[in-house]
Amino acid sequence: MTTARGAAKIKIAPLAGLLFAAAFPVWGAPITFNTALPVHEGGLVWREQFIYDKNSRDPSAANRNVKVSGLISILGYGVTRDFALFGMLPYLDKRLDMEMGGQRVTRDDRGIGDLTLFGRYTAYQNDAPGRTFRVSPFLGVKAPTGRDDARDGLGRLPPPIQLGSGSWDALGGVVATYQTLAYQIDSQLSYKANSEANGFRFGNVTQLDASFQYRLWPQTLGGGVPAFLYGVLEANLVRAGKNRMGGVDDPNSGGTTLFLSPGLQYVTKKWILEAGIQVPVAQSLNGAALKNNYILNTGFRVNF
Amino acid sequence: MTGIWRSTILALVLALMSASASAAQVYKLRVDGLACPFCAYGVEKQLKAVKGVEKIDVDIKTGSVIVTVVEGAVFDEATAKKAVTDAGFTLRGFEKTPRQETGK
Repeated sequence: MTTARGAAKIKIAPLAGLLFAAAFPVWGAPITFNTALPVHEGGLVWREQFIYDKNSRDPSAANRNVKVSGLISILGYGVTRDFALFGMLPYLDKRLDMEMGGQRVTRDDRGIGDLTLFGRYTAYQNDAPGRTFRVSPFLGVKAPTGRDDARDGLGRLPPPIQLGSGSWDALGGVVATYQTLAYQIDSQLSYKANSEANGFRFGNVTQLDASFQYRLWPQTLGGGVPAFLYGVLEANLVRAGKNRMGGVDDPNSGGTTLFLSPGLQYVTKKWILEAGIQVPVAQSLNGAALKNNYILNTGFRVNF
Repeated sequence: MTGIWRSTILALVLALMSASASAAQVYKLRVDGLACPFCAYGVEKQLKAVKGVEKIDVDIKTGSVIVTVVEGAVFDEATAKKAVTDAGFTLRGFEKTPRQETGK
C-alpha cells in the first residue's frame, strides 16, 4: 500500500506546474495571465475566477484522473500610479481517481489554498491618442496558507492533491502591453522558484504567455464609453522543472506544455465578464506524466 | 389688486431663479493612453474626486474628457494633470471653453 501511494505521488507530480499556470493572477484584458495596464492610484479591482482543470490522459495502467475546480479571488490595489499590489487566494477542490490494488480509489480535499502576493511596477509607459504601451516587472511570494498535511484512509495525500505546498515560493517576471482602441497585445515572461517543504519540492516553473484581443463589437466606435466585446486568443508555454523528493529528482515529473486559449470578454467601464478554455496543443512531459485535457477559465472583474 | 399681487409674486420667483442660476465652467482635456472602457473608469474617478467637479464626460474614441466645474471652484491645468496622472494616463491638452449658464 505504501508503495502504491508513493507511485501515485511521483506520477501526478508533473501536474503541479500546470495548476500553478492556470491559477496565476490575472489582470486587465488577458484571461490567463497578468497585464501591464494601470490600476489607478487608490483604486481597487476585484476579480473572481472559476477554473476547472481536467487531467485524465494517463499512459500508465493506473488510469489516473485528476480534476481541480477552483474559485480564485484576486484583489488589486493601486498604491501609486505606477505601483500596484495584488493578492490572490484560491478555494480549491482537488480530486484524484485511480486504480489501486484492483479497485478504483478516490482521494480528495477541498478548502483554502496558498495565498499569492505580488507587486507590479510600471517601469516604462508611452501614451498616445487611443493607444498605450507599457512594460511592468513584477515580484511576489506565495505563502503556505493552504493545508499541506491532509490525510485520508490511505494516509497522507500526495503533494499535488494537497491544497497548499507548505513552502514559501518566489515569483517574478515582466509583462508588456500594447493597447489600442481596436485591439490589444500582451506578453509576459514569468518564473516561479519553489522551495522545499515536507521533503518535497515542486519543479520551478518558467512561463511565456501571449494574448491578442480584438474588438468584435461595436465595429465602429461612437461617442462616450461604449462596452466592448473582445474576441481573445492566448498562448501559454509552460516549462516545469522536475520535482525533487527526498533529495532526488523525480524522472516522472516536469516537462513542457503549449496551450492555446480562445475566449470572449465583455468589457464595460465598471466590470468585465469573460470566459476562455485552455487547450493543450503540445505536451512534452517527462516519464509517465499525466497529461492535461483542458482548463476552463471563467469569471468577472469589478472596478472600485 | 389681484393682478398686482400676481405680478409681484412672478417678479419675486424670477428674481429668485436668476439668483440661484450659476455659471458652470467647462474644460476640455485631451488624455493620451485611453484605449478601453475599463481604463476610463479610473480617469472619471480621479477627476470626480476634485472639489467642485460636478460632471465628467469621457469620449474614448477622441481621447477627450469634458469636465464641468461649479462656479468659483479652482480647476487648473496642474489639478487636471495630477488627476489624470494618478489614473495612470497622460494629459496632453487642457482647454477652458466658454462659460455655460446652468440652473441649479
